[in-house]
Amino acid sequence: MPLFDNYQTNGFYDEMFQPDGQPRPHYWKLFQRLTGLSLEDFRRRCQLAELTLINQGITFAVYGGEQGVEKPFPFDLIPRIIPADEWELIERGLKQRLTALNLFIHDVYHDQKILADRVIPRDLIVNAAYFRREFLGADPPGGIYVHICGSDLIRDQHGTYKVLEDNLRTPSGVSYVLENRIILTRVLPQMFRDLPVRPVDHYTTQLLNNLRELAPEGRRDSPNVVLLTPGVYNSAYFEHAFLAQQLGIELVQGRDLFVDNNIVYMKTTKGPERVDVIYRRVDDDFLDPLVFRGDSALGAAGLVNAYRSGNVALANSIGTGVADDKVVYAYVPRIIEYYLGEKPILDNVETFLASEPTQRQYILANLDKLVVKAANESGGYGMLMGPQASQAERAEFAEKIKANPRNYIAQPLISLSQAPSFIDETNMEGRHIDLRPYILYGQKEITIIPGALTRVALRKGSYVVNSSQGGGSKDTWVLAHDNASLSQQRNGMSQMMTGTGMAQSLGGMTQSFGKPAPTTEPEGGS
Amino acid sequence: MLSRDADSCYWIGRYVERAEATARMVDVHYHAALETTLPAADLDREDAFTPMRWASLLAISGSTKDYHARYATENDRDVIHFFVFDMENPGSILRVWTGARENARSIREQIASEMWESLNVFYLQLREWNVDRVLAGSPHEFFQAVKNASHLFQGILNRTMLMSEPRDWLDTGRFLERAIQTARLLDVKYHDLLPVYVTDIPETDHAPSAERQPNPYGVGGPLDMHGWIAVLKSVSAFEMYRKTHHDGIRPASIVDFLVLNPTFPASVRHGIGRVEGCQKRISGNMRDEPTTDPERLLGRLRADLTYIRSDEIIRSGLHQFLDSVQGRCDDVGRAITRTYLSY
Repeated sequence: MPLFDNYQTNGFYDEMFQPDGQPRPHYWKLFQRLTGLSLEDFRRRCQLAELTLINQGITFAVYGGEQGVEKPFPFDLIPRIIPADEWELIERGLKQRLTALNLFIHDVYHDQKILADRVIPRDLIVNAAYFRREFLGADPPGGIYVHICGSDLIRDQHGTYKVLEDNLRTPSGVSYVLENRIILTRVLPQMFRDLPVRPVDHYTTQLLNNLRELAPEGRRDSPNVVLLTPGVYNSAYFEHAFLAQQLGIELVQGRDLFVDNNIVYMKTTKGPERVDVIYRRVDDDFLDPLVFRGDSALGAAGLVNAYRSGNVALANSIGTGVADDKVVYAYVPRIIEYYLGEKPILDNVETFLASEPTQRQYILANLDKLVVKAANESGGYGMLMGPQASQAERAEFAEKIKANPRNYIAQPLISLSQAPSFIDETNMEGRHIDLRPYILYGQKEITIIPGALTRVALRKGSYVVNSSQGGGSKDTWVLAHDNASLSQQRNGMSQMMTGTGMAQSLGGMTQSFGKPAPTTEPEGGS
Repeated sequence: MLSRDADSCYWIGRYVERAEATARMVDVHYHAALETTLPAADLDREDAFTPMRWASLLAISGSTKDYHARYATENDRDVIHFFVFDMENPGSILRVWTGARENARSIREQIASEMWESLNVFYLQLREWNVDRVLAGSPHEFFQAVKNASHLFQGILNRTMLMSEPRDWLDTGRFLERAIQTARLLDVKYHDLLPVYVTDIPETDHAPSAERQPNPYGVGGPLDMHGWIAVLKSVSAFEMYRKTHHDGIRPASIVDFLVLNPTFPASVRHGIGRVEGCQKRISGNMRDEPTTDPERLLGRLRADLTYIRSDEIIRSGLHQFLDSVQGRCDDVGRAITRTYLSY
């Protein structure tokens, strides 16, 4: 059936199709399955998925809109597939990167050797918005600052993976990785049978183990781990509740906590109960009104001192934001070489710093070709997409850059890779995507779940994948092995499929939706 | 259990019950009022009144002032909008359901996901409705949908929640609210009968007798009967009342049934007994003696409701009694908050 009949690769790197229009080998089986579905059938599965999201309230709050507006995060059913060899590269690259960044943060809050050696200008660090001088000299458990990291990767027009940014504070989105997988296995179960898709649901087990390991001395037998959320109006609240449920830990808010004699307690119906580890999803600024913002009710007064005394652990630690500043990002390749003596496995996107006079001149002269980003904004806010912006918008940004050069970087517009997405419930069109894997730094090792959040810019031509800006997501399949036979099985396909129980089970599902079975067997017929 | 989570469970219980009680009250009131037109001769009387007036509903929910600040007259459309959709009315169905949903959202990890889903799905439906749509169709159908949503929620709760603390908090809220609402509902009736016609007939002599033609508006008259039956129906008690009391619609029997009957699920006595049970399980108290403030207040209230007789209540004044019961329920609520939720 004609799901892909009018599909165009538009000259971009397409995840599913080669330039000649043939499916890439690792997509071949999926392609076969999908072309076996009728438009009607596929549309119904999409609606089923969306209804599930709305009824379960898997939504995010949109800031700046009417109070309490919630939207489901659009979920595109066509999965993104990553072959095993590509994943192996990503995994090595991200482990290297996080190891170096953690060493960098430790150095910045202790000896500051990298500043003394002038690899990074000192004023750039000490003036960074997320540099926490209050936290100099403090030692988090095991010397680990970033326990949970979400780095954003993109692929350029050649299909090369590059790191776009690191999220070292409170990266979000992992709940969608887990939920997307659950929903997709429900609405398109047949597709999973053909490919060695690696499971992702052990993420929460690994995370819980890592969090428990952080418990203070003497509290390790049965530590009380909690997740600290800013509350229901936070855009990522669904995720906080979801993770607390999956981890089996209490979801607390600032008003549930109090600190007495440098020990953190939560108020329960049986009286105060000691808290040992806090997986906090509240920014540094709001953690402790005594140390950071005095008007914050989202944290607990005295929390930072309790942390410094070693009576409670925080994940992530305080002050990690210094390393995901978009200006510091430009230095990450040098950071990797400085601490590890290795070449970066994954490259950065070429980045120009407005703080450097010559680069600033270049930026200002080429605003129509560049993407300009504020150093500490996220969610797609505070950005200029030069080639698509109006003259007035570019002029406005030029003024901002001149007024505060330290706060801006610019990058060439990368032609992000595209992947087929189901648009307007009628046809498949290429839409640009990125990739956010989740990296866990435990006391013994760094682990990455074989899966990721693939975000997709659902607006035609858009490069902005953020959920607040019209982005959606896809399930991401990491394959356990790239069996060379994948591509060779094309011809034997129909034979292999018939005779299994699969045709029957799929026929059964189609009927249960109240439609006669399709005239063409989904598996290609016999 | 986190105090805030317990607090949320408690309020979910209260809000869902309150939405249902409001739906019942407005539904029955609206439909009963359709049949209580005054005889033409009485229309001009200065003291003429309709036994089923919106004013009593507003009075009893304590919202007369709030209502008149924003609405000119007590017409069906405005009053129903006020009780169902007005987000500025802290007791409107939409407002309390939103409150229940928000609380459920903040403790999603504590309750079964089907419970959250049932609150969320009905919330989304409720937002599709407005007062004109309710009146244009069958208002009863709408109010039935509210009751069904509450029942669905309670059913899922009963079927999925562990017999543990969160459930006891949900039930504490649910039964305390139910006790308060039933007491209130009876109070509405009292309010309706307050005007002049009541005074000339002794309260203890209710049964219409052959010798004396009762005043059609007075106690025991047809409109009075109609009003009492509406009260019973609004808590789905009419049929159960008939099974229990065979002596007809007598105020003393109705008070007995709605306030003192330990087996009728919507009675004040039953509600208070259930709340007491929940509170004792929460504190782990296996004995008769109270160990906490809420237990002490609940035990005393339960004892009063157990040992008083309905004719005593009526003789000493039904309104005063119901008023004190509501006040004591509020005290229980405050004691619970003080003891467990915000210490």
